Amino acid sequence: MSTSAERSWTVRLRKRAVAALPPEKLLPDGQPTYVASWIYVFGVLSLSALAALIMTGSILALKGPSWWHFSSTGHFFNSLHLWSVELFFFFMVIHLWGKYWMAAWRGGRVRVWITGAVTFLVAVPCALTGYVSQQNFDSQWISTQAKDAMNSVGIGSFFNLMNFGQMYSYHVFLLPLAVTGLVIAHILLVRRHGVVPPFELEDRLKAARAGATDGASS
Amino acid sequence: MSAEQRRRDDEAAREWKGVYRHYDLVKEASIAFGVVLALALVLTILFSSPDEPPSTIRSWSRTNPVDFVTTAVTELDGSSVTATYGPPYNHASSGQHIAFIRLQKWFGTNIAINAAKDFVLAPLGSMPGTSSVRAAVATYQSASASQQAAWTTAYTNALDKATVSSADTVSIPAGNYGPVAPMMASLLTFAQTGGLDGALLTNKQFYQTDYTKPLMFMADGAVLSDRAAAEHLGGDQWGMMNETGAYPGQVWLWLYTFWYQIKPFSTSNNADILVMAVMGLMSTLFVLIPVLPGIRDIPRKIPIYKLIWRQHYESLGPPPTTVQSAIEPPMPPAAAAPG
Amino acid sequence: MAAIFNLNHHAGYVHWHFIDLSVPNVLVIVIMLVVFAAAILIPFPKPTGSGGA
Repeated sequence: MSTSAERSWTVRLRKRAVAALPPEKLLPDGQPTYVASWIYVFGVLSLSALAALIMTGSILALKGPSWWHFSSTGHFFNSLHLWSVELFFFFMVIHLWGKYWMAAWRGGRVRVWITGAVTFLVAVPCALTGYVSQQNFDSQWISTQAKDAMNSVGIGSFFNLMNFGQMYSYHVFLLPLAVTGLVIAHILLVRRHGVVPPFELEDRLKAARAGATDGASS
Repeated sequence: MSAEQRRRDDEAAREWKGVYRHYDLVKEASIAFGVVLALALVLTILFSSPDEPPSTIRSWSRTNPVDFVTTAVTELDGSSVTATYGPPYNHASSGQHIAFIRLQKWFGTNIAINAAKDFVLAPLGSMPGTSSVRAAVATYQSASASQQAAWTTAYTNALDKATVSSADTVSIPAGNYGPVAPMMASLLTFAQTGGLDGALLTNKQFYQTDYTKPLMFMADGAVLSDRAAAEHLGGDQWGMMNETGAYPGQVWLWLYTFWYQIKPFSTSNNADILVMAVMGLMSTLFVLIPVLPGIRDIPRKIPIYKLIWRQHYESLGPPPTTVQSAIEPPMPPAAAAPG
Repeated sequence: MAAIFNLNHHAGYVHWHFIDLSVPNVLVIVIMLVVFAAAILIPFPKPTGSGGA
């Protein structure tokens, strides 16, 4: 590589990216044989629900926030969006339970856990901003109630649940961007580190240690 | 689990050096997306979604005019929830706190609401062709604070005996209410025409998206809380998790609303900041589970993992009796590594 | 488009001491627990020659 290429930010970034995630790691066509449980499908189901949310949300955004109150087609897409939210949290929490019981942070995968946990924590206010953007009684009640929690910690001063324009902006753009960014980071980290291997069984670990001790003493 | 055991466990888990099998990632993702879309479609066709129409100041003042004027006079005399809230709306109180931590106060008053002026005096002043109302307002504003309080207190007490006519006007027994009675009667009429909904919204510029004032005004009365209680949405009804009708709500808020149901939160004036502190702490701990002693070891101790990975463990065969077979478990016949 | 099941009526509630949950929410939680248990208990298809999901 020439000196100018060595100094090139583009080349350096490309080399780092390809080193971390070569194509066969980014889109592998094989998986470890221990990935053999239905619990493993809940990650991709969560991702699919997020895709459904973005798709239905985009259709709602095309016609604006009043459309779904006066159009049966609009109401249909609003219903799809609402059930996608329920499915997203449903699958994501089951995915989380599975990953906890697998201690999936082992082997250098702490950032995978962290990005996943933070995704959940950001998804909660993303849903809340959606509920207060509905422009119906639900929005009126939720905004006037939840404002007390926001105000008690001071953030109500600049995050006003009763300000529809602000909440709609957070819901349609800022928070989905944050959730999507976190999910992308989460998935890339999974691709980078691989799916966490199983715990080694205690009896095998004991036999290995006993064997090592025998070997050392013989 | 000792630190040494954890380090060994971590090293062993770093990279899988065993067998891979063929697998179609994109096909699985496509199937999953199709399944989720189908599920969302089925749920939509079966159940649709709730859409209860919003309350308006117009509807409130027509269906419960006594509650409307009761609320309006508390805005005028500064005793309403909004008027006594504190930051971010005004300086009437310092807000909630935990010990010396007063975040509500420290972040300041950035959404200024003067309840008397914004909800009563300014809307009355904006009504066209009502010189008598303007005169009443002028009389009220030029009176002393004690005189104003005497009028509003008398009016508030008289509302206990208020009657509503067929035209939704409010009548109270004769008394010394000064200009307060005609002010409230005019405000009620203004609200019943829908003028107050608009006046509270568009007082800064033509285009508005900020519903703070009409919502705060309605929340000071019973119109929203009565509807909410009927739908089981109240704070003491685990309402945060609930939805209107018989729909599932924000079920993931279960732990958040749980705290509000038990002492000391349920009886504290600082309930909100206390609950936010507890949930903030728990959320932080949740993110940090991998480094929390005890919590991070539970999955090893309660072996649900043996169910998840049982196919893998079965493929290993019986536990080894020699050093060699302990290090290299028997390899099941399978495809090559990906690449 | 009207729903097949109209859910625009009051929900039932499950009361137990201070716990007061709506039936639809309880159903969601119960279904999640059932699905989680099923996911880890239902056997996963063993790979054939070419294997994979």
